[in-house]
Amino acid sequence: MENILEQIALCVEKGKINQSVLYPPDMRGEPGVDELTLKALELGISPPDLLSKGLIVGMERIGVKFRENQVFIPQVLMSAKAMNCAMRHLKKYFVDGTVSHKGKLIIGTVEGDLHDIGKNLVSMIAEGNGYEVIDLGVDVSAEKFITAVRENPDAYVGMSALLTTTMINMMKINKAIKDEFPKVITFVGGAPLNSDFAKKIGADYYTEEPQALVEILDYLVTN
Amino acid sequence: MNVNNWIENIIQSPMRYAIPIMTHPGIELLRKTVKGAVQNGEIHAQAIKALSDKYPSKASTVIMDLTVEAEAFGCKISFPENDMPHVIGNLVDASNVETLEVPSLTAGRVPQYLKANRLAAEMISDRPVFAGAIGPFSLAGRLFGMSEIMISCYLETEIVELLLEKCTQFLLSYCIELKQTGCGGIIIAEPAAGLLSNDDCMQFSSVYVKQIIEAVQDEQFMIVLHNCGNTGQCTNAMLHTKAKAYHFGNAINMVQTLEQCPDDVLVMGNINPVGILQMMTPTEVESQTESLLEDTARFSNFVLSTGCDVPPNVDTKNIQAFYNALSKYNQKH
Repeated sequence: MENILEQIALCVEKGKINQSVLYPPDMRGEPGVDELTLKALELGISPPDLLSKGLIVGMERIGVKFRENQVFIPQVLMSAKAMNCAMRHLKKYFVDGTVSHKGKLIIGTVEGDLHDIGKNLVSMIAEGNGYEVIDLGVDVSAEKFITAVRENPDAYVGMSALLTTTMINMMKINKAIKDEFPKVITFVGGAPLNSDFAKKIGADYYTEEPQALVEILDYLVTN
Repeated sequence: MNVNNWIENIIQSPMRYAIPIMTHPGIELLRKTVKGAVQNGEIHAQAIKALSDKYPSKASTVIMDLTVEAEAFGCKISFPENDMPHVIGNLVDASNVETLEVPSLTAGRVPQYLKANRLAAEMISDRPVFAGAIGPFSLAGRLFGMSEIMISCYLETEIVELLLEKCTQFLLSYCIELKQTGCGGIIIAEPAAGLLSNDDCMQFSSVYVKQIIEAVQDEQFMIVLHNCGNTGQCTNAMLHTKAKAYHFGNAINMVQTLEQCPDDVLVMGNINPVGILQMMTPTEVESQTESLLEDTARFSNFVLSTGCDVPPNVDTKNIQAFYNALSKYNQKH
């Protein structure tokens, strides 16, 4: 049983979706996370174990490798795609309560900014690490963030910006959220940002890369 | 202008030079809007001229606008009044790359950019003007969607390669036309390739960039390959293109990069245009610039620059502080 969970973790880490895809070249012809997830369920492995000891392990590994510059965005995206494929088989267990998410993350690129790759990367890695992600997309207004928080008061909020001009909107949105929901914890990220800026606008955390955000989330949900 | 001599003079000179990628402060000097400048070649050229009159850069650069070529292909563009234009949505997916037409050089704002370069080259005679163009992979990413293309590189490689061929075909004709404007070279901006591994950067960017370079680079005309996404992992792939100069962003260690690059090519970088130039005080900007100059002192092929395009709303005192640091360094050495 541990062997198949390790195989699943490896498939997620390497972005091996299913047997027919040719990526990665060194796993051609081998079963992917699609087949292995079904097989694990047939073998009686519990969905929570499959998630925590297989899929999430693979996503954690790729997140750490990304932070250490051992892999790059395309590889992370392939891992996320493999993860999503497995999650389709687990969807009914989330619905019936057999498995649950670690927490919720509302995420969006702030108003005026249409860039989504950083936001997507965080979204996929958080999701792959067991969080329910409510992705509001790009060009997201303060009102949209607040509506999402109102509907999900226990959620964390992540805001992304790539443009120096939209960083200012991040300040406005963070303030609007904190004014109405002072206890909601906010994260900011994006190429032009730094921790000083996060402090200045009153955001709780700035993270430079997605795995750091996941590690903070993991700490927050367990403490 | 013989660019080989120009490069050789820079390398042989005891002086250190600066070529910041900078146009927005020129637009602000003219009290014009970014929207006005990116849509009107005359305003654009005047902004470049205004900066060349004010600051002692070794070369002038045009706006690093990475939407011009995508717009020519048919992408919708949003034009904020005082920020760079953005591409809205994806133009193609795997189902219609084959029927995507390569546009002519009369499409979108291409004629205005050709005009801006021609006018700037006519108005500025004491230094070369570097035109700008997006790189093939970055353009393909704009047309196909950046997340989508990164996955399709692995799952639909032939489709991505076909798209890259079409992008290269357009960029090649654009670069040949830019060469006719009198510019001394082109800064090819390929930031999206910096998100790839060295092997992927080679396969999906460098082989196409190299085709453009082989077609336009000669004794009179040079390519500066800019990649501000590279954190050091794909420098070898960049060098494969055989550009005469390379331009790096603030994510890279400049000394390590200089050690990796041949000493007969110019290596430019990498003052953070936002974190330092926009957000720090003049004293801090000067100190950061001095540190970079000292750290790179043993490399005669280093040219001081910004890590990317200087954004709108940078205090002119900070730009002056950048040049003050250069001036002090040159007096001291």
